[in-house]
Amino acid sequence: MSAPTVSTDRVVKQGFLARYGTQFAMPAGILVLLVVGTVLSDRFLSVGNLTNVLINMSIVGIIVVGMTFVFVTRGMADLSVPATLAVGGLLVLMLDDVIGTWPAALIGLAVATFAGLVNGLLIGYAGLNPVITTLASGTIVLGIAQAFVGGVIVYGEDPAAKDFLTGRLFDVVPMIVLIFAVVAVLGHLVLSRTVFGRWTYAVGGNPHATEASAVPVRRVKAGAFVLTAALAGFAGVLLGISLQAARPGIGAGYEFDAITAVVVGGVSLLGGSGSIPRAIGGLLFVQLLTNILTLQGVPSEPQGMVKGALIAGAVALDVYLRRRGGRE
Amino acid sequence: MNTVRRAFDSDVFLGLVRYRVAIILVATVVIAASMVPGILEFRVLSLSLDRIGTTALVAAGLTLVLITGKLDLSGGAILALSGIAAIGLQEQFGQVPAALIGLGVGVLAGAVNGFLVVTLGINSLVATLASMLFFRALCHVLTDSRPFSGLDPLFGLAVSRPIAGTFTLRTILFVALLVILHVWLTRAVAGRNLFAVGSNPASAEASGIRSNGYVFGTFVFAGFTAGAAGVIQSLSVNTGSPVFGESTSLLAIAAVVIGGTRLEGGRGSALGTLGGLLVMAILTTAMEFSNVPAYIQSIVTGVILLLLILLDRFVSGKKGRDLSLTALLRSLRESRRNPETERTHAP
Repeated sequence: MSAPTVSTDRVVKQGFLARYGTQFAMPAGILVLLVVGTVLSDRFLSVGNLTNVLINMSIVGIIVVGMTFVFVTRGMADLSVPATLAVGGLLVLMLDDVIGTWPAALIGLAVATFAGLVNGLLIGYAGLNPVITTLASGTIVLGIAQAFVGGVIVYGEDPAAKDFLTGRLFDVVPMIVLIFAVVAVLGHLVLSRTVFGRWTYAVGGNPHATEASAVPVRRVKAGAFVLTAALAGFAGVLLGISLQAARPGIGAGYEFDAITAVVVGGVSLLGGSGSIPRAIGGLLFVQLLTNILTLQGVPSEPQGMVKGALIAGAVALDVYLRRRGGRE
Repeated sequence: MNTVRRAFDSDVFLGLVRYRVAIILVATVVIAASMVPGILEFRVLSLSLDRIGTTALVAAGLTLVLITGKLDLSGGAILALSGIAAIGLQEQFGQVPAALIGLGVGVLAGAVNGFLVVTLGINSLVATLASMLFFRALCHVLTDSRPFSGLDPLFGLAVSRPIAGTFTLRTILFVALLVILHVWLTRAVAGRNLFAVGSNPASAEASGIRSNGYVFGTFVFAGFTAGAAGVIQSLSVNTGSPVFGESTSLLAIAAVVIGGTRLEGGRGSALGTLGGLLVMAILTTAMEFSNVPAYIQSIVTGVILLLLILLDRFVSGKKGRDLSLTALLRSLRESRRNPETERTHAP
């Protein structure tokens, strides 16, 4: 049993497309984008541009790792990401001149994680609907954060920390990309190699059978939301430090960006399947497409049309391939 | 302990839970009236109802979508798109036809949602997220990301001015629409079928109900009400803007859920949505009158929402009880007549 995705070997007759389509669609898609981008613009295939793509996807990429866990446990989606991200960003900048940047970062992370704990208790243990719960908790947490700072922009006092985060390791690898890579690899290892990861798939695949197998279903489901909130808070801390300014609305749109990436990566909302590399692949695909459009002079707002069509197309293709494959 | 459990299990308590929207509404009104003098003045009430009017129209369509167990995030974007059509096409077609085209745009956008969810089989959360991004971006493309004004500001004035000194057009529209929807949902066969589709699409299908048709229809209807909200909103300020309705969808979902409709489908009430909307309207007005900052208002709304879904989760499991108002009154009368007999229920 190599991959914990739902095995299809019981289905005898399968089309070639159905068997390999879902696995190779994403790498092929990214390859196509690389070719198209190179053909369309001579600035596309340069180290500088591709590094920029990586830097741009790092912050949301950290959230994508958490959101993948939520998707795999059949937790629908976490809509409180803008709130938890803002909490991280606001707290680190408010406290950095009092206790120093790194302790302040820890506090921002801790408060965001606590908000995730509340989400986890309500969704995992009380069994509430994740969409409406995270919507409500996000409203509350963001309101408290705003009340705390008085609804204004907070500025940071630590340019050294900013230089550290926006700098490059050995003048090559951007620090923020390195952090994202570490988070992604750790997330992948947890999901694919640990007991908690196995439980995550089991809970999303068949909650009742998993409960019967003495797996702590509630704890696993709650864990996914705690993890997402912690990672969103972490992303907020990184964003706050590297911008040295944060306002309560700093996280708006990150929840939808993260969901877009996970969905384009082919991770199903039905739970039980998907992986971090797939979600990151989806994110890379979206980011490359955005980059190509930007290089072609398309303003950022209209790019939403492409994103919307992309989400619908990716999921429709996924649904179609699953039906062809005899599942569902 | 046992007494507590029995108290929670009594018909009276369950009845209170069932009519919680009405109770919360009365409580809100009483608290608001005692803390904020002048809030019950007719003019103030009329204004606060008008302000929630746009959200209310979106919420009316959303109520049906949620009853079928689906979700629609795209209401705010459809609202902006319809408004842009209603204002932007005035020069070519005239004002009334442009407004009608705006409504048509809403219906068409709803049909796109229906196509994504029913025909392509995409989960409604993801499908309407995609269409929300698409429609919102389309608004920006059409307007070059700039708000623009229409031909004649006087044309839209009728929309925003109270009719015969009472309520504005959109207030009358949304109240009437929700009352009609309530009658339709509770009395008409098609309305009852909607609940069956929401509880269990497969068994509804097996009972001869065309589940897919109903789901498609609710999305078209939600698009229509969002379109109507957009046309009215844009006409009343004589502006088409790509940023109208950015937070409308989430507010509307909150109002519908406060009104007792569940995201899991199969349960809900249009009258409840009306109650939820009134609670939000009065809360907002009361807090603004007493200078409470906007973020405190969002905390209060969030807490109410969270408490209500928690309550719903823990008390909803009781089936087979007749909790209609008449049955409750009857049981109260009976228990008063012979208080010593223990009443038993069929399991």
